[in-house]
Amino acid sequence: MEENNNLTAERSLEIITEQIERSRRSITKNSVWSLIWWGSWIIVFSLLIAHLGQAWKDLWGLMLVICAVGQWFISRRKEPAPKSFIGKTIGQVWTTFGLFFGTIGVILGFGGCGVLPAELVLPDGHICLNITSIISLGFGIAATITGFVLENRIMQICGIIAGLGGFFTTMQYPQIDQLYVMAAVAFVGLVIPGLIIKIQTGIKVD
Amino acid sequence: MFQPLDPLLHSELRLAVMSLLISTEEAEFPYIKEQTGATAGNLSVQVDKLSAADYIEVEKTFKGKRPCTVCRITDKGRQAFEAYIEALKSYLHK
Repeated sequence: MEENNNLTAERSLEIITEQIERSRRSITKNSVWSLIWWGSWIIVFSLLIAHLGQAWKDLWGLMLVICAVGQWFISRRKEPAPKSFIGKTIGQVWTTFGLFFGTIGVILGFGGCGVLPAELVLPDGHICLNITSIISLGFGIAATITGFVLENRIMQICGIIAGLGGFFTTMQYPQIDQLYVMAAVAFVGLVIPGLIIKIQTGIKVD
Repeated sequence: MFQPLDPLLHSELRLAVMSLLISTEEAEFPYIKEQTGATAGNLSVQVDKLSAADYIEVEKTFKGKRPCTVCRITDKGRQAFEAYIEALKSYLHK
């Protein structure tokens, strides 16, 4: 782009639209690796824990460590993108998701192993809580909001299918089998949109 | 009646820089260079013009050991951009 002061109104408008769209595209491109990375590990660990049994549920902690380390590397090798409201909002949506469900997971875990009184964490007589169902719903909501912020239709649709589909489907199965549904939720809500955006934006696979 | 267009913004590269910055909090020089496809020299000159008019602020920092130039739009720049868009409408609606 060179110095050109003889712009028509249409060309000016074209430049403005093009540049704003470019910055949105950079942010969308940068979110691809995180979607695929987190989605893939959730699938692996869901299937692994479902196969090994509920006693191995602490492996979720290992998954969080692997994902967090990978996320750190992904952030380092991202192509330069501007700090923007869009990027910030997406980060905040997923941080909120992680904060809520991470805290719920830890509290329930403490209740389960006796660190916290179980009757205080989950009073059996009054509450029936299907945590996998609720996590699936949260997943779907976060993915759908991300899709709306990025104005990405595929992500919106995948988020809705993963969230609502996961919420109702998990309730059809006993606890350990629900993890197979969780794997499907991660595949539909994270991996598929990630792969489609990758194909659309032409990102190379290393 | 056509409204006058701000001559500082009515330039392909300067308008592109301002359009990039309007939707962001800040952007690094290499990113702006890549997105606009401008040469470093030309971009630098245009960034200086925008900075001299207080439309953008330029901060020279370090990213690790490497120098890093960060640009962000100012309130004056945002107002000028909005005024430019308003003026542009008078041309498009004719």
